Amino acid sequence: MDGFQTVFKFFLNQKTTIGYSFMALLTVGGERIFSMVSFQCPCNKSQNFIYGLVFIVGPALVLLIVGYFLSSRTWKLFTGCCLNPRKLCPKGNSCNCVYVFAQITVGACIPPVMWLTVALLNGTFYECAVSGLENNHVVDLFCKGKTDTCRVELPRVPCGKSSLSPADNQELLLMLRAQSQILGWLIVCIATVVGLIGTCYKNCRSQVSYLQLKFWRKYIEKEKEHFDTYATEYATKLADRNLKSFFENKDPEAFPFPNHSAWEDISSLYTFCRSEQYYSTLQRYVEKGNKDKDDEMKCALDFVDGIEMM
Amino acid sequence: MEKFKTVLTLAQKQQTSLSFGFVALFTAGGEQIFSSAVFRCPCSSWNFVYGCVFLLIPSLVLLLLGYLLSSKTWRLLTGCCMNTSKIFKSNNICGTIKVFVQVTVNASVAPLTWVAVALLHGSYYECAMTGCNNTAYIEKVCDGKSKCFQDFHRLPCAGKSSLLASDRDDVLLEIRAQSQVLGWMLIATITVIALAFTCVTRCRSPVSFLQLKFWMAYMNHENELFESLATEHAKNLAQRNVRSFFESTEPPAMKTPDNKAWEKISALYKFSTKDHYYSKLHKYVETCGENHNKSTRSGECDFENPTVLNFVDGSNFL
Repeated sequence: MDGFQTVFKFFLNQKTTIGYSFMALLTVGGERIFSMVSFQCPCNKSQNFIYGLVFIVGPALVLLIVGYFLSSRTWKLFTGCCLNPRKLCPKGNSCNCVYVFAQITVGACIPPVMWLTVALLNGTFYECAVSGLENNHVVDLFCKGKTDTCRVELPRVPCGKSSLSPADNQELLLMLRAQSQILGWLIVCIATVVGLIGTCYKNCRSQVSYLQLKFWRKYIEKEKEHFDTYATEYATKLADRNLKSFFENKDPEAFPFPNHSAWEDISSLYTFCRSEQYYSTLQRYVEKGNKDKDDEMKCALDFVDGIEMM
Repeated sequence: MEKFKTVLTLAQKQQTSLSFGFVALFTAGGEQIFSSAVFRCPCSSWNFVYGCVFLLIPSLVLLLLGYLLSSKTWRLLTGCCMNTSKIFKSNNICGTIKVFVQVTVNASVAPLTWVAVALLHGSYYECAMTGCNNTAYIEKVCDGKSKCFQDFHRLPCAGKSSLLASDRDDVLLEIRAQSQVLGWMLIATITVIALAFTCVTRCRSPVSFLQLKFWMAYMNHENELFESLATEHAKNLAQRNVRSFFESTEPPAMKTPDNKAWEKISALYKFSTKDHYYSKLHKYVETCGENHNKSTRSGECDFENPTVLNFVDGSNFL
């Protein structure tokens, strides 16, 4: 049993890495299914390019939007903002809002980049798209040193139905696939470089030291868990008390509960201040109450939520 | 069950070597999958670019991922924009470079494994070199075979070149042999450098072998305990805050280390033969803790120059 506990603890520690690997596997699986089941290149000049492009870009866009949907930070930022637009940029500091939005976007961009990589490494979609391009330079690139029928037959190459010789056909296909794979690897490389530079910059600008940041992340996680538990517990108690009072036709007993403005206060995104010792908006609220709101002007915006997968 | 426990204890002791081995195996497996499923040499003028991309770009990506996943990188970089003297002061720069070298060495296991396995396998090198336009090389490899020069690009693809099957096999075997020799030379060079590096580091260690072993064990346990106590403390603090919010009551006082204390314990530690401290945390609790406000040795609580020990923080891979 002990052994399993240790192994389980190890995997729990690596949950971010495991989560991303799982997402990558899911993307590969999804792409395979798409290619095999639904993708059939039309092999004519007018439709190839659009068809191929839609299969490459469409799922990426869908994954991006789903990423926005599933990020809890999006909803933290946008809930209630129509009725109170100032909530979006609380201190009139638009830099903060843009920064948060950028953070959400970066988190949501990971599945689309994975899809693009897998789709390009496979090569089928790119082959179809590029063989339909009408641009003379592109066609010349492929049909260099070949007969004129190459230009006409290029859109039919992905289906293997062109009237070029099998050797020529194979050569064109292989060239298209090679380009696609090179592009795929370049995208991976660029995404990794950008990811590394972004993480370096974010960590560099951190106002706290490494161990405190680690502790902070743990605190945020625990606060979320406890909040969920307590919210359920108190909702149960409140419902109990209300229903009891209704059915027994008695006055309800006194029940301490946070008021509406308290909920508003704790729902905003957190700003960290070096001079203070608070790890979240909730902690600042319970320790400080409603006083001294002006101090927050000098504080920097929250960055500790880390890369929330969901 | 007993045997399983023994294996697990052994595994925990050799955690570092095991994690490096696991990464190497994983990379080798990945390379095999890519070679068989994804790699198709285009057999045209694109050979060289294609082969080089498959050989070098994945290793670059693995290196960058190694940097991203190493905790030492972030230990060094966190907060450095706010406090640039942490890295850029003259006596700190040496230490910073040492840590950077250490992190790079740890992160290069995966990329070097990829390149070595790819070279031993031979198909990427074969594809790349058949796209090479260097006349001297082509003549040397072709060795006077007919049509070899014209059809050099098409050699990796079976049935596309107009050479005799036996001629084609000969040329490909030669290129593959070159690739494998390069692969083995790479492995040998890495091993020699790794040994030299370890010798030099151990040679320059200010402590003896047994003390070093003790120190590594101490660091491991301190890190583990830190994780569990930090989680416990975070849980208690969260519980207290959430409860106080829902019950609309004043939160009870709870002691938590202040920002300065965290700063002091977060730097990478350098051993000094005058002291007997094994980590920054150890030094902090013995000199700057609440009970030691009036330290007998003045300036000891001053952690302004946190220089870096080059090997005691161990090779915490993740």
